[in-house]
Amino acid sequence: MSWRRLLVVLHRDIGYLCAGLTVIYAVSGIAVNHVGDWNPNYDVRRSQLELGTLPTGDDSAAARIALEKLRITDKPRALVRISPAHLRVFLENRTLTIEIPAGHLEDEQVSRRPVFFQMNFLHLNHGKGIWTWFADLYAVALLLLALSGIVILRGPRGLGGRGKWLVLAGLAIPLLFLWWKA
Amino acid sequence: MISKHVFLGAALALGLSFPLAEAADGTKYGSGVALSSPTPVSSLLAKPEAYLGKTVRVDGVITAVCEKRGCWMQITDTDKAIRIKVEDGVIVFPLTAMGKRASAEGTLEAVHLSSEQAEAEAKRHAEEHKGEAKSEAPRAGTTYQIRGTGAVVY
Repeated sequence: MSWRRLLVVLHRDIGYLCAGLTVIYAVSGIAVNHVGDWNPNYDVRRSQLELGTLPTGDDSAAARIALEKLRITDKPRALVRISPAHLRVFLENRTLTIEIPAGHLEDEQVSRRPVFFQMNFLHLNHGKGIWTWFADLYAVALLLLALSGIVILRGPRGLGGRGKWLVLAGLAIPLLFLWWKA
Repeated sequence: MISKHVFLGAALALGLSFPLAEAADGTKYGSGVALSSPTPVSSLLAKPEAYLGKTVRVDGVITAVCEKRGCWMQITDTDKAIRIKVEDGVIVFPLTAMGKRASAEGTLEAVHLSSEQAEAEAKRHAEEHKGEAKSEAPRAGTTYQIRGTGAVVY
């Protein structure tokens, strides 16, 4: 088997192996690129409610009134005064911030974005440990794909023909951006 | 053939929907905590110069978390709160840890901001954290935070 034929076989089979993770990393990449515009991991929903005047000096009573009003039966994880006028009631994936005695309430509910949370977990290597090594292996595989992809075609469509101009254009774009930003 | 497709679809759905263990009780972040006893946050803030540059541990309730990056959390101990700032991406605190008890360890540091710096920071902060109700814009003057190296969320 010639070296070029071997590269074609490797490129094809490594490509199949990498396809799934490439899709995951690409989708997550777009998601986290726009972190300024949205939260790629969590869906945070906020709403306001007026409870009416609340008793001062009795945080448990204020929390109880809020929970009853919202028909929440779960026991809070914690009640914390975050400022003299604000009590925060922490529940599972839900936080109530109550202004005392005015009774303004902000209800914040948090849930993971399905699929995106898991994709970002893998892409950003939040799991650490063995995933670090697997991600390194994937990076090496991508390098092999990139380098083999450049040389497997011969002729006018290969690296000797238009291929070299496309490779140079691909390199020029990030270099020009760096030069522009410097 | 159909059964193969069903199996593949089920495996994919299971893989994508499987909840990841992100902050179960006693979950360690970074290097965790090594000091055996905590320093009350009120003590740190009352005499910060005595602790500056030293490794301290604080215990309390997580009352705020960086929503988008998980790059800081606020721990409240009785009525005093302090921010634990960690290196972006190295330690990531989950938003779902809010209200849980935690221990965090790191070095106490002072953050000095002039009014111009605070204004610029507030602008950048507002852009980066728009929509985050719990996010406080940096203020001019000196504030104290812990440069966190690890934490345990219970």
